[in-house]
Amino acid sequence: MSAPKPPKGHFNLLYFASASSHTGKDMEALPAPLPLRKLFDTLEERYQGIRATVLDHSLVTINLSYVDMPSSEDKDGEDNAVVIQEGDEVAIIPPVSSG
Amino acid sequence: MATQQPTQGDEHPRAQQPQPQPQSSDPTEISEPSIYVALTHDHLSYQSTIDRVRSPEAGAIVVFAGTTRNNFNSLPVQHLSYTSYAPLALRTMLTICRSILTKHGLKGIAMVHRLGVVPIGEESILIAVSSPHRQAAWRAGEEALEECKAKVEVWKREEFGGEGGGVWRANRDGAIGVKVDEPRIGEGKGKGDEDEGGNGGRKDYGEEK
Repeated sequence: MSAPKPPKGHFNLLYFASASSHTGKDMEALPAPLPLRKLFDTLEERYQGIRATVLDHSLVTINLSYVDMPSSEDKDGEDNAVVIQEGDEVAIIPPVSSG
Repeated sequence: MATQQPTQGDEHPRAQQPQPQPQSSDPTEISEPSIYVALTHDHLSYQSTIDRVRSPEAGAIVVFAGTTRNNFNSLPVQHLSYTSYAPLALRTMLTICRSILTKHGLKGIAMVHRLGVVPIGEESILIAVSSPHRQAAWRAGEEALEECKAKVEVWKREEFGGEGGGVWRANRDGAIGVKVDEPRIGEGKGKGDEDEGGNGGRKDYGEEK
């Protein structure tokens, strides 16, 4: 039950709910590796306004586990900074609304 | 939008998803002893959900049914649809159910959420719990629903029709969600009686508005 394999040198990024509406996509493949702290900047470049509209209110998962999103200016602790790897499945998780 | 369930072993998923397809015979589910969680595009069945938790050691079964409401803050809703991050949603449902099963000493717990378009007035979620005595069952049923609404990776989109457009609902603040379309929607900021249920369950979403 995994998403289709991303092309070589890429990871899959999944968009749900408002993230999907804003990008007009359910998913896309982006170049890997990518430091996690650069993810939101990368998306803002591609989809202007997505940070304020969607990302600031969303969580992020990598391979079905939630990750803390470091600030893009945060240069501390680079040694253990998370890097998105080729083949990873990353998802933008807007506030949920089940029930 | 198509459901988020990736087609299995498929090299060209986008080409294969011309429209959202109700997959009637393809529920996604996980079961383990005393626990059943599922996502389905089918109608939800009270009987089969109750039967999942039936036990000779139980003296009570409590069932909660969430049904789709025809308005949000008096704004008429024409229809609702749900989408999910299925593998993660199932994992989260399982985690919630395990925790509540243990905490309340239940004999069984089942949680089933419907996906796709759910016509107004129909069931979008069923939760059933069984326990030796009723008090634990009442409490566990309520807690399971609140946890689900706060955490499970399912999203509800409400379509208002006409100039209203549609919005993605957010349980956490009970406020109107992110607009999908341009048209104005009366800024109905306020309390949805049910939608405020899941508030604050997850602090890491950041500040609430």
